[in-house]
Amino acid sequence: MKECQIKKEIIGALESHARQIRKDVVTMIHQSGDGHPSPALSIADIIAALYFHVLNIDPQNPEKPDRDRVVLSKGHACTALYSALARRGFFPLSELPKFRSLHSILQGHPYQRKTPGLDATTGSLGHGVSLGLGMVLAGRVQGYSYFTYVIIGDGEQEEGLIWEAAMAAVKYRAGRLIVLADCNGLQSGGKIEEVGGIVPIQPKWEAFGWHCQTIDGHNMEAILSALLQAQQVEETPSIILARTIKGKGVPFMENNNEWHKKVPTKEELELALSALGG
Amino acid sequence: MNTLQSTRVAAIEAIDSLMEKDPRIAMVFADSVKVFRAAELVKKYPDRCFDVGIAEQNAVTVAAGMASSGLKPIVATYAGFLTMRACEQIRTFVAYPRLPVIFLGANGGIAGGEREGVTHQFIEDLGIARTLPSMSVVSPADAYETHQAVLNAAKQDGPVYIRIGSGRDPVFFEQPYSFEWGKAHIVLEQNPEDVVIFATGGFLLHRCWQAIERLNTEGFRVSLLNIHTLKPLDADTVGKFLKRAGAAVTVEDHTVIGGLGSAIAEAASEQFPVPLIRLGLQDTFAESGEAEALLDAYGMGVPDICDAVKKVLQRKG
Repeated sequence: MKECQIKKEIIGALESHARQIRKDVVTMIHQSGDGHPSPALSIADIIAALYFHVLNIDPQNPEKPDRDRVVLSKGHACTALYSALARRGFFPLSELPKFRSLHSILQGHPYQRKTPGLDATTGSLGHGVSLGLGMVLAGRVQGYSYFTYVIIGDGEQEEGLIWEAAMAAVKYRAGRLIVLADCNGLQSGGKIEEVGGIVPIQPKWEAFGWHCQTIDGHNMEAILSALLQAQQVEETPSIILARTIKGKGVPFMENNNEWHKKVPTKEELELALSALGG
Repeated sequence: MNTLQSTRVAAIEAIDSLMEKDPRIAMVFADSVKVFRAAELVKKYPDRCFDVGIAEQNAVTVAAGMASSGLKPIVATYAGFLTMRACEQIRTFVAYPRLPVIFLGANGGIAGGEREGVTHQFIEDLGIARTLPSMSVVSPADAYETHQAVLNAAKQDGPVYIRIGSGRDPVFFEQPYSFEWGKAHIVLEQNPEDVVIFATGGFLLHRCWQAIERLNTEGFRVSLLNIHTLKPLDADTVGKFLKRAGAAVTVEDHTVIGGLGSAIAEAASEQFPVPLIRLGLQDTFAESGEAEALLDAYGMGVPDICDAVKKVLQRKG
């Protein structure tokens, strides 16, 4: 009973962090005048779970060699990641409005040499699983047991390199590699079912030999429980297929692909913030 | 007949000595262990040698992940499959974050193509690698220079591309010389010279040397510089010779667009413009054939070098 209460408190806190991330996402994109709001809103719960509960990281020592790693393979959703890094104390919140501006530490897509706490350069889709595998293997060579979490999109899995990495990760028994797929059903050009032929997704990962789970990617308890289960799988890489809603939390952005890349006006920002609880 | 010594074996021997000393060095192959005669190395360091199969993009990106987490990986496979198929991975995930990854590209040039034809003769790799910000580019002339290039590449902070050959590579340096990273190597200085020849890569220093012997008997004085490091280019030494000679010929087993010829033309036009003839592939693909015969057929023969020197001399005015 006590454990259950603690868990409820943790979940409540993480949901509150996810709301804050969503507010930061729409605010940053409004302030900077550029960015991808709806793909960032769909991963806010996953980012909150990782950065405010799961990861072994230290904002005072962002480069510590045994830290857990995160690779945001769908790098265009970086506003959610930047919000979490700032709110975890890797850099001041005052950096957030400078997103995508000249000389900002927050590049248009993640760049590891400029942003404290950021582990991987991404933005060109399809690369995260390979980067994550390299990080896992480097940990193994150096005797560290950290986990590497890779966040990919669903449309992104149309890239062949994802499957090259899927093969190699099984060959190298990369149990410390955990992929979270943000399955929001939409990609830049339209519906996942219609654009590239990647559906059905889960049987493909199963056929490659991965440990697979499918969850509601906006249910914090489900996210935590799936991550815990993935951590227990020792000799096999894991993927968590998280069913999400693109634009989640802002009603007029939800499942409306116009918001893949679009800047909210002042009025739209106010509406969005109000929907997110003010 | 020149003595042959494999640049691939020389590279692996250098890597062996690096791995012995530095536990951060790791190898990533793309079903290229056999190509690099590296089975013994893999046996010796099974925990630091990885083979991701015929998947060059993955090999490069895995190496980027490794280098982001404390290792110094070396990716070894065919030059073109690295620089063309995995070009974006090298550019965005290694060069952009300036990670310490060494790329070893086999089958550089038409002479390095093992009679396989155009699919396995890589004549664009140096140009592609040279355009990438933060990338150093080295094109060693033989096995000895390959060994030196690999040892020196491991001392660099950022990424390095090293072009090597087929495994049947003529020895030019029978005695060691003092290899200096980023410095032009003066093979022959005839001060003052009529023309300076800049050459890079396997097979060609021999040919330039023979051409110069012939030209000397006809009364022409020619200096020969071996440009093993194309980037950063030793602009000071190149400029000094351009100024003194007043005319230059470049010789490379590569398309003349983007490689040594372009690098020298860029340096010349910025420092000391002189008449220049660029020998190499003249915006064309080659074909299957034995290495020496291919070089003769595609404009890199000893007579071609002699003719180029005489022609450029006429334009000197």
